[in-house]
Amino acid sequence: MIACEHIHKAYKKKTVLHDVNFSIHPGQRVGLLGRNGAGKSTLIKLVGGVEMPTSGRVVRQMSCSWPLGFGGGFQGSLTGYDNARFIARIYNRDYADLRAFVEDFSELGQQLRMPVKTYSSGMRARLAFALSLAIEFDCYLIDEVIMVGDQNFQRKSQAEFFEKRKERALLFASHGPEFIRQFCNRAIILHGGVATMYDNVDEALAVYDVL
Amino acid sequence: MSRLRSGLETQGKVIKALMLRELVTRFGRENIGFLWMMAEPMLFAGLVGLLWTFIKGPEEHGIGIVAFVVSGYIPLTFLRNTFSRCVSVFIANGSLMYHRQVKLIDLVFVRVLIEFIGTTMAWLFMGTLLSAVGLFPVPHDVGMALLGWGIYFLFVVSVAFIIAPLSEMSEIIEKLLPVTVYLAIPFSGTFNLASWLTPAARDVALWSPMVNAMEMIRYGIFGNAVRPYYSVTVPLIISAICLIVGLALCSRVRKTMVVE
Repeated sequence: MIACEHIHKAYKKKTVLHDVNFSIHPGQRVGLLGRNGAGKSTLIKLVGGVEMPTSGRVVRQMSCSWPLGFGGGFQGSLTGYDNARFIARIYNRDYADLRAFVEDFSELGQQLRMPVKTYSSGMRARLAFALSLAIEFDCYLIDEVIMVGDQNFQRKSQAEFFEKRKERALLFASHGPEFIRQFCNRAIILHGGVATMYDNVDEALAVYDVL
Repeated sequence: MSRLRSGLETQGKVIKALMLRELVTRFGRENIGFLWMMAEPMLFAGLVGLLWTFIKGPEEHGIGIVAFVVSGYIPLTFLRNTFSRCVSVFIANGSLMYHRQVKLIDLVFVRVLIEFIGTTMAWLFMGTLLSAVGLFPVPHDVGMALLGWGIYFLFVVSVAFIIAPLSEMSEIIEKLLPVTVYLAIPFSGTFNLASWLTPAARDVALWSPMVNAMEMIRYGIFGNAVRPYYSVTVPLIISAICLIVGLALCSRVRKTMVVE
């Protein structure tokens, strides 16, 4: 389980999250809905432990990925392989296994020998997905980017996330309703710094629609 | 207890991974890389030693001047390089905060450790080279020299833990740092021994952890040619205070840190 307890987050004087409370249990795929600037990315960073809440706390009782998105988590001047090696070391995984999976899943080929700063945002996302899938987390945090890449890569990501890893938990930020309807079994609406959890995705989308 | 142990194991892995990563980023894989770290302190110490030989003659207070300058200058380059590398270390490595097991203090510690290893290698290399041509003595008491060097390291680490978060809070630190380090040179024991000072000046100087450490290092190297004045507890207590302040500042910066 991952739980947010009375999370409050302010940058300088600007309050982004007021009093956010929710929990995610294994198997729950939670869509995170909110307008631009509602604090979706901030909330995902707090759940992932990238940034700290101003008050309140995040309890993690299952392993939880770093926020997967277009940026973050990589050292731009290092190559894809070097980044993979670093991640294998700090997450205590065998580099040879991880490397094989990343090569196969990301389909980045020779590009893995290039510095990550030369990657397009789609290529970065591929690398991030490949690495986090190789590490096998109980809960994945995804910021907007699940549907990057070409059709083939989209199908592959969907198969890995939604078919092979059905029992895992997911927190998935998006303002596009289609994917949330398709893949999530509950949803959170973030509005005015407060989070509301809906057990029914259609109901959440209906509420979100008129915000 | 077992949680503490697995926590320490994780931090050990993180520190090792960060060190390897830092070495690759800083020196690349294809040149002589790490050896460059030794070049700077050696050039500095060697050339300043040579300069002093011309200005002051080959000996001062009965100690070979090249050996004296080298023994002081190498720790000073460690201190100076470490402090300047700790400025903005968090901004430069913000993306590492995506991985929860990486702590801010790991980033600082790794930077200090790399400088420390590089400087120690420079020192060993330079000492061996100079003693081959008779300009550096065989150390009188290696244990004492190492103890002094260890205390020097401890003090530099503790202060680095303060400089890194302060540089995040205010840009003035970055501007003030070089001049502060320069002004601190008289209190670093680099160019003088405590026994050369007047008793009143000596009492003041011995509040400086670097002076105490340098006295131990110099006694360890030159033996009875110098008369050491030092305390082990003073530098340890001062370092411990700096460490507590530094860790508190780091955790404060972490709370408000914005990561892209």
